[in-house]
Amino acid sequence: MRPAEQLVRVASRFESEITLVKDAVPVNGKSIMGVMMLAAEYGSSITVEIEGPDETDALKAIIEMFDQDQEA
Amino acid sequence: MTDGHDIALKSRALLIKSLVEQVDLKLSPLTGETGLSRKITNAETNRPGLALSGFLERFSNNRIQILGETELTYLKSLPGEQRCASLVRLFDMGIPCMVITKGMNPPPEVTETAERFDTAVLGTTLTTDAFVHSLVEYLEPYFAPMTTVHGALVDVYGVGLLFTGRSGIGKSETALDLVERGHRLVADDVVTAYRMRRGIIMGTSNTITQHFMEIRGVGIIDVTRMFGIRSIRVRKRIEVVVNLEDWNNDGDYERTALDEKTTTLLDAELPYVRIPINPGKNLTVISEVVALRYLLKVVGINPASTLNQRVLEVMKEGERVRYRREDYE
Repeated sequence: MRPAEQLVRVASRFESEITLVKDAVPVNGKSIMGVMMLAAEYGSSITVEIEGPDETDALKAIIEMFDQDQEA
Repeated sequence: MTDGHDIALKSRALLIKSLVEQVDLKLSPLTGETGLSRKITNAETNRPGLALSGFLERFSNNRIQILGETELTYLKSLPGEQRCASLVRLFDMGIPCMVITKGMNPPPEVTETAERFDTAVLGTTLTTDAFVHSLVEYLEPYFAPMTTVHGALVDVYGVGLLFTGRSGIGKSETALDLVERGHRLVADDVVTAYRMRRGIIMGTSNTITQHFMEIRGVGIIDVTRMFGIRSIRVRKRIEVVVNLEDWNNDGDYERTALDEKTTTLLDAELPYVRIPINPGKNLTVISEVVALRYLLKVVGINPASTLNQRVLEVMKEGERVRYRREDYE
């Protein structure tokens, strides 16, 4: 649950619409229940779709978050 | 509605094994483990009478093939060699599985050929008619047009209200408030909607997060444990879409509802209510009113047109009074 929460926190900082897709199921990246619903285990692959005024920053922040997570 | 995400149909499939596990269908494999990991990709069935007799044009090979009494009697009437050839032709088309109804025993060639083509033959004790009905009922939700909607679905007095609106506007809080007043939560945050026959839209929740809610500032809560079994519902028809909006002075909100507004979800038209939010507004009571108003409409009572009628009558009466007063004899 912790990584999900972290992701949602980062996503919620941005105005853009952030959608995560796993196995063709799309969910809102700003919703903790949505992200949990994906039940994405370590090593699984997820597609991130971002659309909006701050999409580039949002993408950068999400990539950064995943990178940091790996170091920890 | 714009914030729905359609779930691709082609990505959906159901293992034959799951079909067997569905007790209502009363299925048992006649070919052991053979072909149980094959997939079904649609909710249709086919009775392969014509295919068995050799006419394979337009044969629906991706459907579940059902053999009833007629087909079995036909197969049994064929001489051994022809029977084998006809079965080989059928299984060679790559059918997902074959079902024998009424608990009948197929001739041995059926299961032998099926095993050669790694396809399952399942027996059911149901009649063909009963089996097809149960099967369609079971498969429909799997293969119906489906989408996920960001919102909350609550059964309010038996009316399925789907709350939508931007993140953080208070959809979950409204749902929680309604649950506290004795209404039933179906799904929060991610509502899975699918279209059944006749344009009925059903809403349900993902099984992982079912009946859990996130309340901002508090965290995750377990609704079933907190409010009891009466506070939840597994699925519900979506009957009214209630969009929560930030109050906007230019907002053209509904004042009379003489003409009902609608929105489309999965190509179906649904009544649509926009509720502007401002401080001091009791969304719970408004939601209950939306549901009750819908119920009244179902039995043919429309308050806006009743009031309209009354005003028209008073105006007409005024004219009559004036006439009598002004026309002296």
